[in-house]
Amino acid sequence: MKVQTGVDIGGLTLKNPVMTSSGTFGYGEEYADYLDINRLGAIVVKGLSLKPKEGNPPPRIMETASGMLNAVGLQNVGVEAFIEKKLPYLRTIDPAVVVNIFGNSVEEYGRIAEILNDANGVDALEVNISCPNVKEGGVAFGSDPLLAGEVTRAVKSASRLPVIVKLTPNVTDITEIARSVEIAGADAVSLINTLTGMSIDIEKRIPHLKNITGGLSGPAIKPVALRMVWETVKAVSIPVIGVGGIMSASDALEFLIAGARAIQIGTAHFIDPSAAAHVVDGIEEYLSEHGLEDIRDLIGTLRT
Amino acid sequence: MGGFWIVKRDICATVFSQRETVERHFLLTVRVPAHFGNALPGQFVMVRLKGGAAPFLSRPFSIYSVSSRGNDTCLEIFYQVVGEGTDIFSKLAEGDLLSIRGPLGKGFDIPPACKTVVLVAGGIGVAPLSFLAQRCREEMGDVELICYLGAGTAESLAGLERLEKICTAVKISTDDGSRGYRGLVTGLFEKDMDRYAGDTVRIYSCGPRAMLKSLQWLLKDNPAVCQVSLEERMACGFGACLGCAVRIRSNGGGFVRVCTEGPIFDIRDVEFSG
Repeated sequence: MKVQTGVDIGGLTLKNPVMTSSGTFGYGEEYADYLDINRLGAIVVKGLSLKPKEGNPPPRIMETASGMLNAVGLQNVGVEAFIEKKLPYLRTIDPAVVVNIFGNSVEEYGRIAEILNDANGVDALEVNISCPNVKEGGVAFGSDPLLAGEVTRAVKSASRLPVIVKLTPNVTDITEIARSVEIAGADAVSLINTLTGMSIDIEKRIPHLKNITGGLSGPAIKPVALRMVWETVKAVSIPVIGVGGIMSASDALEFLIAGARAIQIGTAHFIDPSAAAHVVDGIEEYLSEHGLEDIRDLIGTLRT
Repeated sequence: MGGFWIVKRDICATVFSQRETVERHFLLTVRVPAHFGNALPGQFVMVRLKGGAAPFLSRPFSIYSVSSRGNDTCLEIFYQVVGEGTDIFSKLAEGDLLSIRGPLGKGFDIPPACKTVVLVAGGIGVAPLSFLAQRCREEMGDVELICYLGAGTAESLAGLERLEKICTAVKISTDDGSRGYRGLVTGLFEKDMDRYAGDTVRIYSCGPRAMLKSLQWLLKDNPAVCQVSLEERMACGFGACLGCAVRIRSNGGGFVRVCTEGPIFDIRDVEFSG
């Protein structure tokens, strides 16, 4: 049975709901040799700032139970070098290109969005207001409903593209932030970014990460992500993109059933660089086996 | 896209054998596809248990050797148990399945005109250097191969047997003086260092950070080219996770990826303190 897997994310049309998550898929080209990249619905590139950023000193990562901590610190080439050096490759491939952006100030978010208006080959923006590892671009904007709304408004008024706002789980109530960015004009929200955590070397009595704390990702966070996605789906009427610990098609299907319009795969790519392609296959098989002709007949069908 | 991406997919490899050579140091031999025969000394592989939940991330290991045995291509990994991941690997036995990504990274640069190859190995840092020595011996005939090999004690000298077969001379240091020079391997190297200065000499090193840093200092007035193999925690091994950053001095400084721009670097280019 031929199944229909296309979804619409606030004006961004995807041929299937499988996206890569920012910071785990480089600028796409890193994966070109490892999977058939054209199987994917969308690629979300590494977060971009106005100027290049060198990131945090090492050690930057540490394995933890069923997951990993990272404090890469948003190392990136900057928006200008991205357009010049990275975007040409992305134009040659089929998946939608979502550019993740972050700034030091509300104005800077708007400025980056404006620069990307002129860049041919960008299909949507994902606004990072949730990185736990840096002061700017980060959680300061994402944990305050008013600031989150202000950043969203600045990007929306500067950009011609659909705007997805990526939310942090490191807040008391994620639905409050989601509602705030919805009112400010966000076309969709993606959640969750990493959970702040830490790990200690007991022999040396030092943190395993130079940054002391880092963002936890991987299967360890999936139940938390799923719960937050489910709550947010009920709280807003814009599409929700589910992110957090998805390793397989069955993980992805849980998020879709909970109401996520699309999903992002991140850390799983480090374990298996072709993980996203397997998830696409697995979703199609599931739909087919369950007699569902259209993925939209599955999304948000959780029975409670 | 072409058809070449298939070779880069993670492959499933079968454990051929594993044995503990010296305390907590294991020699793992796995059967791999024939294209691993193209691996260069200095390159590495990412390894995890096939279908296993732990360790979660693959672990990077330098290649210790690649050889043909009958119709099979065998990859050797020589490692020390240092944490949970390597502890799990140490229990692998014949027939167990691994998922392997690679060969990854850049290899050592070996100029054909090189007449003297000097290796400075600390502990398990011997692994990539032994592969390099083997390849030099195979391809450069009568090249002079001098290895400085350091370990804690005589019992923990890893990789010695093989090096003694390949090298012109193996000079040993132990921290406790139970064999060879008493002290650090860099101290032993320092005594001979002035011999190694010409254009036809190359120095290669791998070992703990502190050792490489001290070698960098020793070589500050010595013109010989020295390449080092660096280690850093990494999640992907192919440049996407940005976990394995190392600060370099060239190109205006900044971080590069050990997995992609390395793991082989000019010793003078590495900023060991940051």
